[in-house]
Amino acid sequence: MSVAVGAMTLRGPVMAASGTFGYGTEVPLLERRALGAMVSKGIFLRAREGTAPPRIAETPSGMLNAIGLQGPGADALVRDYAPRWAEWDFPVLVNINGESAAEYGELAARLDGVPGISGFEINISCPNVEQGGLYFGNDPRAAAAVTEAVRNRTSLPVWVKLTPMVSDIGVIARAVESAGADALCAINTFVGMSIDLNAYKPRLSFRTGGLSGPAIRPLAVHLAHQAARAVRIPVIGIGGIARPEDALEFLVAGCAAVQVGTATFANPRAVAEVHDGIAAFLEGRGCRSLSELPRYLPRD
Amino acid sequence: MFLVDAPLTGRREVGRDMFVIAMHAPEIASTVRAGQFVNLGWSGGPLLRRPFSVYRVDGGDIEIVLKAVGAGTTELLAVEPGARLSCLGPLGHGFDLTSGARTAVLVSGGLGVAPMPITARDAAANGMRITWVHGARTAAELCSEAQGDEVIWATDDGSRGAHGTAVAAAPTGDIVLACGPNRMLAAVADRWPEAQVAVETYMGCGTGVCLGCAVPLRRGGYDRACKEGPVYRAADIDWPALPSQLSYTVMAR
Repeated sequence: MSVAVGAMTLRGPVMAASGTFGYGTEVPLLERRALGAMVSKGIFLRAREGTAPPRIAETPSGMLNAIGLQGPGADALVRDYAPRWAEWDFPVLVNINGESAAEYGELAARLDGVPGISGFEINISCPNVEQGGLYFGNDPRAAAAVTEAVRNRTSLPVWVKLTPMVSDIGVIARAVESAGADALCAINTFVGMSIDLNAYKPRLSFRTGGLSGPAIRPLAVHLAHQAARAVRIPVIGIGGIARPEDALEFLVAGCAAVQVGTATFANPRAVAEVHDGIAAFLEGRGCRSLSELPRYLPRD
Repeated sequence: MFLVDAPLTGRREVGRDMFVIAMHAPEIASTVRAGQFVNLGWSGGPLLRRPFSVYRVDGGDIEIVLKAVGAGTTELLAVEPGARLSCLGPLGHGFDLTSGARTAVLVSGGLGVAPMPITARDAAANGMRITWVHGARTAAELCSEAQGDEVIWATDDGSRGAHGTAVAAAPTGDIVLACGPNRMLAAVADRWPEAQVAVETYMGCGTGVCLGCAVPLRRGGYDRACKEGPVYRAADIDWPALPSQLSYTVMAR
């Protein structure tokens, strides 16, 4: 079930999504045997405290989160986690964040060449402090500028995680492809809000949060498919995958691989179950490899 | 940490609308310590598991206590004996009972009884004399199973025991172990900064990866109720920043 994502060959098509697998060291039950790759919790150059509680709220078939990218910063990541990742038999990519394109570049440079770090996933769903807090991911020029800033500071694979909160994901996808991205990850969470009817105010202290889980899956399949139609680089599908058939929807819709996220919270074995289920499906349908899986990907 | 498909083995009412349910999870029963919890999922249940302190251990069974406060707990109370619950645990960092204290005061408010029977068991095993102070709004809402060398009841309306809160009714001891609404625990922190308190938060994974169960600390920053907690030294928590009462989904009638 090995799969090529750009120049990287992964041993399987199922990865752990950023923010849902921690740094891979927290839970002994998280099965690593089936992981194609892990994307670590999003990190900034410097440590961040995160947002005040309540940070999460369950919603129908989904959850909202506003963690605020709590994290230890680059130096602690290099010191505490990378050495452990270097011993693992699958690649770890670091989800990187910044308040300016230059800060993303600086973070990539700090992590480039550190043993245990095999690539970067750029989270472009961050507010651009230099441009009044507009999100990088909503503006093709800003998204491209961030991608280029990282691309110029590393020779490792650079993936860009797209936000769904755009009017045409294809425009952003083409912009970051042109700026040197090796792959796209589609998609990040949707922005949502839920109201506490006892307190008459939002359930999250941050007011809004990112919606994930099965509730967003059909939206995510559509957006991943649109992104895949728009570019030549591989697209990694993300959004509400909990079962093998969910992952297969993304794969048939044109994705090269997938990431499992929120499902891991309820089921520490979700990644392994999705991986094993895909293998069983391929065998049952007479496919000798993932490349023989029929795809639905008409070109624009 | 184990992930056990645990058959439901029993259910009993221990106070008005307050139930103890038991499940067969021998791996967890034999390793759980006072103040630790399990995260429960069930077939057809909500997206996220629901965390519960382990209430009591009985052979290979563990027990939890709950009320129907939201959709998840309502469903859980409808699970039939023999049906299986997916039980992840034991989780978290429980009470430290190794200090050599000779007397322990347990203070519980309402569903804050949740970790106390197993805590009384372990404290007694460490040679402590147990005083358990249990409070609720009314006599009917008290958990009937509080036990120890001495039991003190407290009700807000004076219908049983001391008229007032469990915190006000409590004597002092070498160590104080408390669980209840976060507002009550803030009062515990005022009276006994060194008390060990088990806090309640919303929780996602229960295993330390989602960072959803943030507990604000006096020294700044947050840590995780599911990993560093749920038991804290009372003085370490930034109480005004910790949501005082969790609200659950309101159903319009």
